[in-house]
Amino acid sequence: MPQLEQVEFFVSQLFWLGVFFVILFTVLTYTTLPKIRAFLSQRDDFVKSHISKQDELIKKAESIIANYEVKLNDAKSQASQIVNDAKNKAMQESESLIKSTEEKIQHEIKMMEERVAKEKDQAISDLNIQLKDSATSFISKVSKIEKENINL
Amino acid sequence: MAKGESPLKQFEIQPIVDINFLGFDISFTNSALWMTITTAFILIFFTAPFLKAKKTNSVSDLYPTRMQVAAELGFNFINSLLADTVGKEGKKYFSLVFTLFMFILFGNLFGMIPYSFTFTSHIIVTLALAMGVFIFVTILGFVKHGLKFFSFFVIPGLPVYMLPLLIPIEIISYLSRPISLSVRLFANMLAGHTLLKVFAGFVSALGFFGILPLVFIIALTGLEILIAFLQAYVFAILTCLYINDALHLH
Repeated sequence: MPQLEQVEFFVSQLFWLGVFFVILFTVLTYTTLPKIRAFLSQRDDFVKSHISKQDELIKKAESIIANYEVKLNDAKSQASQIVNDAKNKAMQESESLIKSTEEKIQHEIKMMEERVAKEKDQAISDLNIQLKDSATSFISKVSKIEKENINL
Repeated sequence: MAKGESPLKQFEIQPIVDINFLGFDISFTNSALWMTITTAFILIFFTAPFLKAKKTNSVSDLYPTRMQVAAELGFNFINSLLADTVGKEGKKYFSLVFTLFMFILFGNLFGMIPYSFTFTSHIIVTLALAMGVFIFVTILGFVKHGLKFFSFFVIPGLPVYMLPLLIPIEIISYLSRPISLSVRLFANMLAGHTLLKVFAGFVSALGFFGILPLVFIIALTGLEILIAFLQAYVFAILTCLYINDALHLH
């Protein structure tokens, strides 16, 4: 196995391993890694600031929505108030209208009844006169016939 | 693979440039070459996407490039790994865990390229990394807790008569950490690459029926890439756990 047989190269391998490991470690530690870390943390800060901005905007939107809902509720209650008022008013108006109409109808019924009673009386008296007239004419006719019969 | 070549030949170290320093042979070898490539790749991979990246000033700046997403993925992966195992205090050790993970990960992955060299398949390399972690963690424990660090070997709530038996066991398990850590990585890489080479030998040996081991190799390559990730992850998470132990003892 060359790993254990080539003992003469142990020092060389250790030397170059040390050299390259130290170079790699030093360069990474002092230039590359801090650069990456700074870059990443700057980007994280950017993202975080954006997220906090977003949170602010969400809060703003929520307050706007709450405000809007309050206003909407106000408007709704006002609208229902107006509707109720209008209803009440309309009801009152219609009730008074119904009342006055009923009174009118009652009045007219009374007038009609009076007229009917008057006409009835008139008719009865007319009838009586007519009856009297027809009775006299009938009697005269009857008497005329009797006279003719006697004459025969 | 030429006939009669050992499947272990891929692990051989070949010097590219012979260097001798104060009597030590520190030749630049194929192992060192792939360490160079790995290091350069990691540095480019994680630096380049952020060179052009502007500061995020508007929503349209939020869209990262593809390479940036990949780099961020690696960064956040280690970040969450440390946060889950060590917690907030883990941030200090971020670059150590990050370097270890990426170095091993890309070392493993570049080893999957044909004709390349896997430096993590050498026990001396993984042992050096593991010993580095072990020594760092031990020093960290002593710095944080002083001599109280030795109480780490005493499991709380245990009857006193059990202590003579369990303290040596705890000490041995603590000392075996670098060995298990290094052997796990080394053995996984060694076994995977050897297996691939052995089956690759069958492909040429079986002629037409070599298609069967070829299919197997393709599947095995996928598995090896998974293992490359997994072993880097295991190494990193164990490092995190050891750091956590050193910081919080029990």
